[in-house]
Amino acid sequence: MARSAITSGNLFTKYSPSFFKIFVFFLVFLVFFIPIIRLVLLSLSSENGLSLSHYVEVLKNPVTWKTIYNTIIIVTGSTIISVFLGLLTAWIVAYTNVRHKKLLNLFIFLPFVIPSYITTLAWTQFMGVNGPVAKLLNILPGHIQPMNLYSLTGIILVMGISHYPLVYLLSGSVLRKIPRELEMAAKVSGGSKYISLRKITIPLALPGIASGGLLAFLASLDNFGIPAFLGIPANIRVLSTYIYEQIIGFGPSAFAKGAALSVILGIFAIIGTFFQWLLLRRSKQIETSRVDKEPRVILPGRMRLIIETLLWTFLIVTSLVPLLSMASTSLIKAYGLDFNLQNISFKHYEFILFSSSKVQGAIQNSLQLAFIVTLIGLFVGTYIAYIRVRKPSLLNKSIEVMVGLPYALPGTVLALAMIFTWLEPIPGWNPGIYGSIFILYIAYITRFLILQIRGSVTSLLQIDGSMEDAARTSGASPYYKWRKILIPLILPGLLSGAFLVFLTALTELTVSSLLWSSGSETIGLVIFNFEQAGNTTYSTAFSTIIVLLILIGFIIIFLFQKYWERKVLPNDDRN
Amino acid sequence: MKIIKKTLTFMFILLLLAACSSNTETTGTANNENESEEQTTIEGNLSFYTSQPDEDAQKLVDSFTEKYPDVKIEIFRSGTEEVVSKILAENKAGEVQADVLLVADAVTYENLKNEDLLLSYKSEEANEIPESFVDKDGMYTGTKVMATVLAVNTEKVKELPDSWNVLASEAAKGQAVMPSPLYSGAAAYNLGVFTRNGEFNWDFYEGLKKNEVMITEGNGAVQQAVAAGEKSYGMIVDYLVARAKADGSPIDLIYPKEGVPVITEPIAIMKNTKNEAAAKAFVDFVLSEEGQQLAAEIGYTPIRNGIDAPEGLKTIEEMNVLEADLSELYEARESDKEEFSNLFGDK
Repeated sequence: MARSAITSGNLFTKYSPSFFKIFVFFLVFLVFFIPIIRLVLLSLSSENGLSLSHYVEVLKNPVTWKTIYNTIIIVTGSTIISVFLGLLTAWIVAYTNVRHKKLLNLFIFLPFVIPSYITTLAWTQFMGVNGPVAKLLNILPGHIQPMNLYSLTGIILVMGISHYPLVYLLSGSVLRKIPRELEMAAKVSGGSKYISLRKITIPLALPGIASGGLLAFLASLDNFGIPAFLGIPANIRVLSTYIYEQIIGFGPSAFAKGAALSVILGIFAIIGTFFQWLLLRRSKQIETSRVDKEPRVILPGRMRLIIETLLWTFLIVTSLVPLLSMASTSLIKAYGLDFNLQNISFKHYEFILFSSSKVQGAIQNSLQLAFIVTLIGLFVGTYIAYIRVRKPSLLNKSIEVMVGLPYALPGTVLALAMIFTWLEPIPGWNPGIYGSIFILYIAYITRFLILQIRGSVTSLLQIDGSMEDAARTSGASPYYKWRKILIPLILPGLLSGAFLVFLTALTELTVSSLLWSSGSETIGLVIFNFEQAGNTTYSTAFSTIIVLLILIGFIIIFLFQKYWERKVLPNDDRN
Repeated sequence: MKIIKKTLTFMFILLLLAACSSNTETTGTANNENESEEQTTIEGNLSFYTSQPDEDAQKLVDSFTEKYPDVKIEIFRSGTEEVVSKILAENKAGEVQADVLLVADAVTYENLKNEDLLLSYKSEEANEIPESFVDKDGMYTGTKVMATVLAVNTEKVKELPDSWNVLASEAAKGQAVMPSPLYSGAAAYNLGVFTRNGEFNWDFYEGLKKNEVMITEGNGAVQQAVAAGEKSYGMIVDYLVARAKADGSPIDLIYPKEGVPVITEPIAIMKNTKNEAAAKAFVDFVLSEEGQQLAAEIGYTPIRNGIDAPEGLKTIEEMNVLEADLSELYEARESDKEEFSNLFGDK
């Protein structure tokens, strides 16, 4: 790796002061770095110049320590659950001969596709006193109560389930690329299945697992919806809700305190990224880039049935049931009535689809936002990923950390930093970006670019530098190299990244809620506003429509991928 | 690579263009506004920040612009605390963008008044509004009356209670729900008022804590919990319950005999408004008979004398209002919240 990095580095320095590179650095600096600098400065500000007084004040408060403790427990717990579930499902789907893999794929994604404010709503309804679990337990003897979700365990579970698809997505594609010959070699040399897993599969899959794990970690660190919804009733604070509470509840003096807390949160994000780097430092590169979709572990009939049953039960409980519980709420005439034929009505859907002027505008805005942000992410994110993988200088690595920070900050904090930065980027000059829909584009790129970078890095790590060297020595131009070699090979990985960006951008809530102005409503905002105004039936109806739309999008991407495999990669092995 | 370069150059130019065009747009309208002020015609742009539900804010704006078709109003809607944070952040970053503000309660406005962000304007229409709801310096005026009431789930509670004390009773153990004062402006107001009334004090909240009351982020969640029967009793703003009841949810509201805390969703003009004439016309409209009638139609108790409350709600004359000194509430808000957070915190 070191050798190829140097050679391709030389290749790069030839093009080095290119406009493109300068543009990317400029963009990263402007968009990612300045808001963070503004935030750090704010946290250090005091009447007599710079001082650490806000940090001292914050760290003296025992509530802060309790909050940090809660955050560590919740983030660690939910990341472990996410990695475990993600890796397990990815391994089963990639390696074994279970049936209906495409359908499995879809169900594994559902918890991620549904925005977390909807998931949480659905879960509390599912587990609530009137929910299906309670009704079922009522029939059973004894006085078993459904689990109380308003607790540390509840938050950890819901977060873990919401974020495991991130791990699934990033480790699944890596697993498929591990050459089976290596695993077979281990077996032939007398190694047990366990040894082959420990010595071959896990180390080779590590880039994917670590990337997915890091995203799950950052997502949990930032998540506001789940701890706000489940934590407030249980008096459990985490950093994201605590910062929100400070900024929102305690006036202008609290901005600096909130900023100091945000910096503390940022430090956690850096620690997580560092930990991932430690893990990956010794990870191995795979020489082939062949995607191998043939099952490697052939389960005998009965075993397969048992695993399939377990898997489907898990998926139905985690994905389908909460979704159905949400959909059933949207069909009830008035919230709180029983779900039976007399009480069913479609009037909420009628309102959403035909009467509400906001809804169509919001769908249009969000689609446009998500689409453009994804497109920009594909280019810029892949480029950053490329220089990060092929030319891992300190500067290039720090770009990745910089880009990752806004994803870890709570949405509200990022939004405030955006206001500070973009209202008057240069004192006395208001470019009019803030207050237009444009601020949302910038904010979304700031927040979600890291998802694309993680996806692209993961797939680029799988391609040995020698491929590029070969292209170069055969006289291929960089453009030709990308078009003919890199892009076809990494496209599935790029698309998974793009897909994450698209979905998260489509239903984003926290950043938009402070930055929008009329005319730039987003889907998340409209749903949240319905919810806040007490119109749960509207919000669930709209959410159901959105989930259906996303499912349709899923199918389209699916067909596209199939087409790609068939037409563009004709030599690749397929099922 | 070339193509990527080209695409990015193109996007970058697009970015710059968009930034520039929106820039000229804003400066253009700003000039118009200055001219229009001299002619005192009512036109131009208004930026309206509010915490009212979207639909209601839209209805208000629509009926105003019907009267003044040359005014274009942009709405920013969020929870009171978010709206205020946004204004304070804008102020810190250089310039407040809002022209007119309509959020939950007077205490919030005392804060903004103290920060010198409001414009004094005594609307003629305010003469018909009870004096205690109009700021004496003309900085802000109440626009409607929202009482915090007791909500019950009618399937679970057969005998309707008549006192707040039911929340601390055995029947309500683990069965009550209220919004968090750390997140909801109305709840923060209630906290200030209850703890300053001899009958309640902090004992009331300590009783709630002992009775395992559930705390939610906002009033909407309280309504859900009670309507769904997840909890039997709730502390909540009146209009949400009246609406849900009218829709057929199994929920009812009670004005307890001890009295109810009332917030008034005041309206104010921001000091650095770029369109004073339109802002004043908007305030006049909201307080006018027509504007108040509209509020009643939407489902709020109007604040202006002589206009009936919508079905299921009481008018201000029929209510027994629990009050506390405004400046004291303002001074103590942070410490109240902190004390609440300590009382209910998990330390």
